[in-house]
Amino acid sequence: MFKSLERRIVALLLIVLLLVQVASFFVIQNAISRNGRAVIADELVVGERVFKRLLKQNAEMLTQGAQLLAKDYGFLSAIASNDDETITSALTNHGARIGASFTVMVGTDRTLRIDSAHALSEDGRRRILQLVDTAEKEGSAVGTGILDNGPFQIVVVPVKAPVVVGWVVMAFPLDQRLAADMLALSSLETSFLVRSAQGSWAASATTLAPDAIESMRAALNAQHAAQRTAIDISMGGNQYAGLLSELASDDRRTAVVVLQRSVSAAIAPYRALQMTLLILTAVGILIAALVSIVTARRITGPLRELTSTARRLGGGDYDGPIPTGGGEEIAELSNAFGVMRSGIAKREAEIHKLAYWDSLTDLPNRAQFAHRLRQTIDSARTCHILMMDLDRFKNVNDVLGQSFGDALLRSVAQRLLTHSGADAVNIARLGGDEFAILLVDGTLADAQEVALNVLKSLEIPIVLDDQAVDLGAGIGIAGYPQHGGDAESLLSRVEVAMHVAKRSGNQATVYDAATDESSQQSLSLLSDLRRAVDRNELKLYVQPKLSLGKGDVTGLEALVRWVHPERGMIFPDQFIPFSEQTGFIRVITLWMLDRAAALCSTLALEGMYPKISVNISARDLMDQDLPAKFSEILFRHKVCAASFCLEITESAIMDDPVRAQNTLESLHALGAELSIDDFGTGYSSLAYLKQLPVDELKIDKSFVMNMEHDANDAKIVRSTVDLGHNLGLRVVAEGIETEQAWALLSQMGCDSGQGYLMSRPIPANEFGAWSRRWTLNNTTRQLASSHVSAADGLSFAIEMGEDA
Amino acid sequence: MKTCLLSCAISAAILVTHPSAVGAATLSVQVTDATGKPLQDAAVYAEPLSSPAFVRTKETEIEQKSRKFMPVMTIVQTGTEISFPNNDTVRHHVYSFSPARPFELKLYSGTPGTPILFDKPGTVVIGCNIHDQMVAYIRVVNTPHFGKSDQAGKVRITDLGPGKYRLKAWHYQLPPAASPVETDITITKNDMTADLVLGIGSAGSGH
Repeated sequence: MFKSLERRIVALLLIVLLLVQVASFFVIQNAISRNGRAVIADELVVGERVFKRLLKQNAEMLTQGAQLLAKDYGFLSAIASNDDETITSALTNHGARIGASFTVMVGTDRTLRIDSAHALSEDGRRRILQLVDTAEKEGSAVGTGILDNGPFQIVVVPVKAPVVVGWVVMAFPLDQRLAADMLALSSLETSFLVRSAQGSWAASATTLAPDAIESMRAALNAQHAAQRTAIDISMGGNQYAGLLSELASDDRRTAVVVLQRSVSAAIAPYRALQMTLLILTAVGILIAALVSIVTARRITGPLRELTSTARRLGGGDYDGPIPTGGGEEIAELSNAFGVMRSGIAKREAEIHKLAYWDSLTDLPNRAQFAHRLRQTIDSARTCHILMMDLDRFKNVNDVLGQSFGDALLRSVAQRLLTHSGADAVNIARLGGDEFAILLVDGTLADAQEVALNVLKSLEIPIVLDDQAVDLGAGIGIAGYPQHGGDAESLLSRVEVAMHVAKRSGNQATVYDAATDESSQQSLSLLSDLRRAVDRNELKLYVQPKLSLGKGDVTGLEALVRWVHPERGMIFPDQFIPFSEQTGFIRVITLWMLDRAAALCSTLALEGMYPKISVNISARDLMDQDLPAKFSEILFRHKVCAASFCLEITESAIMDDPVRAQNTLESLHALGAELSIDDFGTGYSSLAYLKQLPVDELKIDKSFVMNMEHDANDAKIVRSTVDLGHNLGLRVVAEGIETEQAWALLSQMGCDSGQGYLMSRPIPANEFGAWSRRWTLNNTTRQLASSHVSAADGLSFAIEMGEDA
Repeated sequence: MKTCLLSCAISAAILVTHPSAVGAATLSVQVTDATGKPLQDAAVYAEPLSSPAFVRTKETEIEQKSRKFMPVMTIVQTGTEISFPNNDTVRHHVYSFSPARPFELKLYSGTPGTPILFDKPGTVVIGCNIHDQMVAYIRVVNTPHFGKSDQAGKVRITDLGPGKYRLKAWHYQLPPAASPVETDITITKNDMTADLVLGIGSAGSGH
């Protein structure tokens, strides 16, 4: 929830603030409650004092009034008349003057004369006499008492004529008016109540509403309180704090005054204050929230900017501004960011250089070249690419050393830069001794001209360390859009063109879709071919080898056929070339050796020991482990190496003569015989051949098949046979298709041969049967040779071949 | 209460000595309060028990001066007329509600035309209706033998013929309904002295 720094800062501040505010709110609440109660208690105490003061003032006023009355000459005269009726009427009359409820004359002999309007209870009489006693001592007396079922304030003053002749007692009720005065003065609800002899309370005057006074009466009835005491009563839904104090009591009754204050009314101002505080708190929190958000933003804002800068860095943009605001720490972070950014930029440049530049020649590498090519194609511009591969560079490297080779490549790069006329960035070294040039917006003719210029520049020998090296090269040319719609196909096609150029010796060759078709098909077959081995789709075929003299079966050549599940029978010339290109040939060769060894083993059980010839490709010869793998196969099938004759083409040897020789020697050492296949078509040097541990020469079938019609070919065959024999080698002829050819070759002294005349290639498992038939027929033929013409034998042989 | 005052009076020790005068004796009375202090302004009079009294004084006055009655205490024989000359600059309204002689002299200045006749024995308290503090006491007695104690509480009653007398002493500070302290004495030719103690000033005198 608070994963963001900004939110966390804001939340922390707000929570702290809230806690403080809530705490202070409750403290204040508590204080208000306590203060409110304390204030009410004070108010009540003060109210009580005010009430007493009010009573006292009232008493003083009443006393003064009574004194004036007592000194009234007329009143004195009436008293002096000593006539009861006159006296009581005077009392009534003069009492009414100052509003007394009771007016009583007490003589010096304590006899009471009361006004005519009232009767006086015994308790009232007693209370009055008590006060008269006080007045006798103190001149006058004031007190409270219960008369006429209510509390009264009683005033006693002497009647002087001019010495004291008696006392006038006047009683004034503590009534509604006083309660109202009290309320006005002190804001305290004031009630006068009397408890009867039976213990029940009755209100004589009150400022309270009738239902409220009922509640209070009920509460007092339950409480039995009559002394000065605090009373808290809930009345009419409001809580009242109150103070009860006794006004007067006699033997039977007690009169009290109750002063009350509404608690809620008392704390109302505080509540208002509290509400203000609450609003202040809310406003404070709001302000604090805003301030903390702004503060947090000031921290997180630069962080966020740094984050987006970091994102931009991630995206590879190293140029945008780095935010600097937000205080020292942020600034430091920004600086560190800047340093990091320049570091990353520098390293990325280095990595970029390593990734896109050839460190040897400082030319763009294959990746960059492909990238540029793609860019050019994307921008829909026509372009041509030239791909160049140096001739014999491998030899130079092997003979003159790696560093010399490097220097040579640098020189070639220099020449390309100087003579191609292309931009430096468009000249790339693709790897090894391969270079490429991208020509934008030119015609095919321009591209061919550039290629010629380059080739021409390479005609001048390169001189390095006093060594002059003569370099040649093959250049392939392909153009967009005519030769391919995308960079990948264009690059593969220009490579095809280059290989064609190198093979054909035509130094600059434009891509031709026709020449490439087979290779394209081959490529599509490659994945099938991998499966073919696993699925056992390859089949071993054999073509018998016979001695031309006696016609015996001396050996057989192992051949491979691929029975494709969809395409049917596929012949070797359709998949062996690309197997050689891709190196898959090694897998096929091992498979061949394995199957051949198995066949050898099978035939041995049948009592046949033909020498089995297996073709070894140039790639195989480069494999130093081939002898070991071969011997493992021999061991596994319990056959000896002498049963094998490994056939190698001249060109296979010449690719890397040194390594080829090593491998051949190892194989020969195992006991296998070696044969030069297709002899006469390659460029092999006899001096070199002489060194090889070869046992056999195999004359290329093109010579054999033509020799009956071409005298030169016949001469070549004869010479080759002689050459072979002179070198101590067996000579084998391929492609024998006629009886004449057999006879001729036999006459030339060729040791053995193979061809359709004897047998087409047949599945390996049929070889035993074929061999037995052939041997049988051969014996028959030889027995009949004295009286059967050669033509019969030929026809027979053809039948046999067709049979296969 | 009355009983108590009587007991006070009875408890008064009366010591009578015989002076050497012939025909008419003089009675010297020493009046003290309950604490033994001399009591001024006590009315002391001797009522003859054997022969009727004769009229000695006919006229006296109580003046009003400085808003006071002067003298505060006046003892007269029944039948005496008292005038109330007002020597103040303000007017006075002199009255009495005493049963012995109620009267009223409405606001006046100078000396009212007719003096008031006091013909009944008893105490007459006079006041001024205007000035509450003005009080004077008149003790009307039925004998010509009377006197008022001086500052030393002494009273001399002269010209007493031999015979039995009832000696009474009254003071306005006595409670209103209280009777005078009295004691019977017998006058011979010789002068006599008597000590009278009134129940004033003691703890018990306030009743």
